[in-house]
Amino acid sequence: MTSGVASYGALLDAVRGVRWPARRRATGATIGAHRSRLRGNSSEFSEFRPYRQGDDPRRVDWRLLARSDRAYVRLTTDRATTRTELLLDASASMAFPPATLDRWQRAREVTIGLAAVAHAEGDPVGLAIAAETPVRIPPRARRSVIAEMIRTAECVSPTGASALAPLLASSRAARVAVITDLLGDADALLATSRLALAAGKEVVLLHLLTPEELDPPPEAQLAVDPERPTLRRSLDADGRRAYRVALDSWLDRMQVDFRGAGVRYVRAFTTEPAARIVRRVAADAPADA
Amino acid sequence: MTFLAPLALVAGALAAVGLVALHLVARQRPAAYPLPTARFVPDRRTLVSRLSRRPRDLLLLLVRVLLVLSAAAAFARPVLTPRRTAVTRVLLVDRSAAVADFGEALQRAREIASDGVPTQVLAFDSAVVVLESGQAGLDSLTRLSQAKDGTVGSISAAMTAARRLGADLGATSDSVELVLVSPLAERELDDATDTLRALWPGNVRLVRVSVARDTSGLPTLERAIGDADVLGPALGNRVVMPGSRALRLVRRVPSAADSAYARSGGVVVRWNSIGTRESRPTALAMGDDVIVASLGRASIGAQGVVLARWADGTPAAVERALGDGCMREVSVGVPIAGDVPLSPAFQRIVNGLTDACGGARGGAGGPVSPERLRAIVGPAGLARGSALARGTELPTPVASWLLGFALACALAELFLRRSRDESAMPEAE
Repeated sequence: MTSGVASYGALLDAVRGVRWPARRRATGATIGAHRSRLRGNSSEFSEFRPYRQGDDPRRVDWRLLARSDRAYVRLTTDRATTRTELLLDASASMAFPPATLDRWQRAREVTIGLAAVAHAEGDPVGLAIAAETPVRIPPRARRSVIAEMIRTAECVSPTGASALAPLLASSRAARVAVITDLLGDADALLATSRLALAAGKEVVLLHLLTPEELDPPPEAQLAVDPERPTLRRSLDADGRRAYRVALDSWLDRMQVDFRGAGVRYVRAFTTEPAARIVRRVAADAPADA
Repeated sequence: MTFLAPLALVAGALAAVGLVALHLVARQRPAAYPLPTARFVPDRRTLVSRLSRRPRDLLLLLVRVLLVLSAAAAFARPVLTPRRTAVTRVLLVDRSAAVADFGEALQRAREIASDGVPTQVLAFDSAVVVLESGQAGLDSLTRLSQAKDGTVGSISAAMTAARRLGADLGATSDSVELVLVSPLAERELDDATDTLRALWPGNVRLVRVSVARDTSGLPTLERAIGDADVLGPALGNRVVMPGSRALRLVRRVPSAADSAYARSGGVVVRWNSIGTRESRPTALAMGDDVIVASLGRASIGAQGVVLARWADGTPAAVERALGDGCMREVSVGVPIAGDVPLSPAFQRIVNGLTDACGGARGGAGGPVSPERLRAIVGPAGLARGSALARGTELPTPVASWLLGFALACALAELFLRRSRDESAMPEAE
């Protein structure tokens, strides 16, 4: 496993040019790449509206007034930035498979990739890592923020059973992307997501799975939960069948619950390249213009 | 210590071996594999069996083996066996009136006991006195002295006591020697003697001492009996020798002189109905002798030991001790005519009624026949202790302790097994 800022160079190259439009109209005052909830004096024409008392006379389209002898106001669409924060799950279950730590590696790459995409659009980008000792980098738009995020993510090891919901609740970003395996506080995270959505935020959830979870290797005869070592279950043939049924049922329930709540739920496997996952997350987000 | 049911030990040993074999087959949980989605695996126990070179759970195995072995040892019925000696001796010393010189019997007994073999001394006449063993027993025998009342010895009683004592001695001895110091007079034997002798499974070492003179023959007559007397056929050949212990036959009420004669050791027989003319058919029994004839029957008033009885059970002759002698009263009327006096049974009865004091019950004393002597001595060889002993084992609480220990092991095994299961399967959900 490579580490350091340089190791993310290929990924950053791969996601260059990817756009990650906000799903909701941006509320930021800074001009950015996302459609703003405000209409102002930008050059992007939207429509004409009859002049009403109180409108700025400078926005009256004088040519149209001359041709039609009616006063119309020219409306344009504003562009703004969206404060984006990435919540990275660093619980012990992310360190899987134990030999390669594929999920943790892929989660970090996708996090940095999404941050780079958002940062490229001028959005302030922040990072919150739900580790045993939570780490948070507030959303910033400066150029060094991506490198800072990489260094921070490299310093964290996935251990313990940390919670994502408190970090989501305390986030002040307009768009929050959660990268997790949902094996921690999924129910609390769902409830907090509902609150965030109600507050006008956009929540994106990347559910990162590993093939070993769907089909445990043959040597896995006694399964131990890394977050709860006292939970030990034997995996025989009958047990594997029942396990798969229960796991599929749980995956379906998570997808239905989060999507039903309005969360943009994206499921990905660790075998998928990080750049591709980033593109899927970004592309699956049509703006409700 | 020995075991009454040793097969239980074998079964216990086999069970212990089986336990060790089972512990060699290690049934273990597989190695743990970290799986974040382990919560979706159904809660089910899976064990993997494999053979191992070393037994697993050594402490549990030890407790189980101890449990099995202690229970098996308890069911094997452990008993304590006392320390055994090679030979012990039962020394029967006759102290009855049949012994002419009790000092001679004591001397013989001391000679026999001087060889160092543990000796249990028993003195007997008609009853048996169990004395101490060894020298103390001989000293007690010396103090016990000879029976003075003319009691006839009973070999049957002595053999019975010897057999009873032999049962105890046989538990601690490999062999038991039985020594009988006695003149072995005929009167000391009875019908049960042979049967009781057969109960002793070995040789009887017979040490004979001189027999008392008055037991070797019938008393002499004070006066001769005429040929015309109906008692003549029975007493005609009796020696006539007047003396203090001769038989005085009176046919009247005894006088003071007769009483004085009896007190001085004489035998006075009042038989005043001899020659009766009134008779009727009846039966007369004395010991084993019975005669059925026409006999006269007079009343009898004196109290004493009944020597003969009529067929209806009433006494026909009684004896009353008087001083050193005795006085008898006989109510049997012998008809003058007839051949009753010639009957051998009648003659034996007459001899019995004219016997010495206290000696008429068993009939006349005489030498023991060689055949009976050989029967009493019996086969060669000492009696084996195992043949005499009822049971050589002593009760012991070891079995109870072993069962208690097995119970404790069972509880410990349960505790250890639960502890192991909890540590091996600490299911949180």
